[in-house]
Amino acid sequence: MKGLPPGGERRNLNRLDRRESPALAGHLELLAKMSGHLAVTLNIEETIQKALELITKYVNAEAGSLFLLEDNGLRLTCKASVGPVDIRGITLKSSEGIVGQCVMENSSRMVRDVSTDPNFTHSVDETTGFRTRSILCSPMSTQNIRLGAIELINKKEGNGLFSETDLMMLQTLTAAAALAVRNARMTEVLVQQERVNREIELAIEMQRSLLPAARPAPFPVCGINLPAYEVSGDFYDFFELGDGRIYFSLGDVSGKGMDAALLMSKTASLFRCVGKTLHDPGALLVTINRELCETAIHGMFVTMVCGMLDPATGRVRLANAGHEPPLIHRNDGSFSPVPASAPPLGIIPLEAGLNGIREELIDLDGGTLYIFTDGVTEGRVRPGQRLDVDGFKAIITQYNGDSAATRIQAVVSRLRDSGQQRHDDITILAVEDLTRRMMKDDASRCAVPLVSLTFPARAEELHPVREVVRETCEKCGCPPALTQDLVIAIGEACQNVVRHAYKGVADGEATLEILCRDGMLEFCLTDSAPPVDQEKVKPVWPKEVHPGGLGVCLIHNIMDRVEYLPAPSGQGNLLRMVKFFKRHKDET
Amino acid sequence: MKHEVIKKQGASIVVLKGDVDLESSPAAREILLKTVDGAGRVLVDLSSVTYIDSSGVASLVEALQASKRNGGRFALVAASEPTRRVLELARLDKVFTLYATVEEGIKA
Repeated sequence: MKGLPPGGERRNLNRLDRRESPALAGHLELLAKMSGHLAVTLNIEETIQKALELITKYVNAEAGSLFLLEDNGLRLTCKASVGPVDIRGITLKSSEGIVGQCVMENSSRMVRDVSTDPNFTHSVDETTGFRTRSILCSPMSTQNIRLGAIELINKKEGNGLFSETDLMMLQTLTAAAALAVRNARMTEVLVQQERVNREIELAIEMQRSLLPAARPAPFPVCGINLPAYEVSGDFYDFFELGDGRIYFSLGDVSGKGMDAALLMSKTASLFRCVGKTLHDPGALLVTINRELCETAIHGMFVTMVCGMLDPATGRVRLANAGHEPPLIHRNDGSFSPVPASAPPLGIIPLEAGLNGIREELIDLDGGTLYIFTDGVTEGRVRPGQRLDVDGFKAIITQYNGDSAATRIQAVVSRLRDSGQQRHDDITILAVEDLTRRMMKDDASRCAVPLVSLTFPARAEELHPVREVVRETCEKCGCPPALTQDLVIAIGEACQNVVRHAYKGVADGEATLEILCRDGMLEFCLTDSAPPVDQEKVKPVWPKEVHPGGLGVCLIHNIMDRVEYLPAPSGQGNLLRMVKFFKRHKDET
Repeated sequence: MKHEVIKKQGASIVVLKGDVDLESSPAAREILLKTVDGAGRVLVDLSSVTYIDSSGVASLVEALQASKRNGGRFALVAASEPTRRVLELARLDKVFTLYATVEEGIKA
């Protein structure tokens, strides 16, 4: 070993082999050479042609051909050919001739002299004009899977007949060729698989892009979708209309494969497209149903819920076509379902109106509406145990103090982390009366107001109050245009206290509190005057203009939420106004 | 709030300045109604109004109605940004005749 260069020992062995068994050494060299050649290409045609050329050359045959089984093993087709006549493409029945027998019996054969063999098929010679004298044939198979055979014809030297040594050599080399063919085939399958995978990845990406992006908090609608397999038959979507209302939808397409995913894409697109102009959830479902029926795919249907939230009032118009009843989680902790009022879409034409899809009018009143697919309630939390509606309610109740996004994420996490196999997509949409909920939260947290200003309820005091509002809004990061609007709204609110509440009584006082958090400004204006007549503070639209009604109309136009409540002290009125905003610097 | 009334080429121009709010709108109302009474064409120059509330808007509406009863013509000119915004929020921007400048108002 000492002083021996790397590889030195091997060279010595080679010399030894050549001296003692030149034939074996030659075999090994050829095998190494062939393996090297075959390893560089994974193209199956190239592989077999190269293998056959090497084998034919080494055994010193006049011609060689490589047959592979095709048509589920019914036929043998010549895939590579070496020699004077190119016989590629020639096919034999799988049991025909010496090649056929060799493949069927999975054993090598040698016909030293074809003129004495009854199995020899003369058909190929007749077609090609080639004269066959002697044949070697060895089957190609790996792990008992028959692939085909290599046949060599006529030894080039001597009397043109093969020997036992030639057959042994062919057997060895054919085994290597068989492995190469199998590798190339497996690669082909992998490449094909890779292409399918890429297609699926694109489909997943496409589907993701159909789901709406989560909005920065506070936003009253949020959703989540977790496909069971690669693509989903569920969808949800929501978008805002110009007047502040929010259109939302959730659907579940029957089935779970690529067909369901494609129908899902179509339905989701219809919702977004038609919903832009058709603002009645029931009528929108009727229209989508008509489209789906016209181009129905046999046996497929969609269960779908569609609704419209007015964030200013916390009211929802909801239409349900064959979908699992959404749940309203009310302020008092109770849940109530909203059953379907129509069959699933894509089955029979439905009419709008009384015979069509009825809309439910829901006042969320600080509560949350949950719409979900059956993948949620039927999902397993333990072997044999489904989450069910009760399990869903329990999680929602447990996380009630958190944001809606956290609540629905908690449900998904329970299902995803249960260790149970999921068979259906999981989709949940939460629609909440955020304004009322946040007010409640604030009250319970006893938030400290940014500003608390008590002033005499007199006309000449209004200018300084407006200046405080302006400064505070600017400090909170309100964009200038919004600040201007808020000054108008609060000016009107204070003016109404001065004009109406105290009816000119000189010593009345009012208190303005301003709270700011998470993109929400809340203004609370308290007086100690007699209770306000609710009828008088309804917005009055111009035509019969009088200042009081016009002021209320301005307040409603500017604020997202306006509420007249009894003052906490028990005497007087509390006017609560809420405005959501995007901070000035966030926008840029 | 400050105000002045200018006569120019047969038109009476009421120039309002500063905040037209609950405190000052009675004065604004008085001057507007007085000007509208008997005058054919009245223009209200709002270019220097820094703030106007519903009571100020109500004075303008009242003057418009009085002018119509008298068979006169009443228009707002050069409305400042805050004024324009309140009229827009009150959906009154289509009720009033608005001109960009005093000159335009006189020529119209």
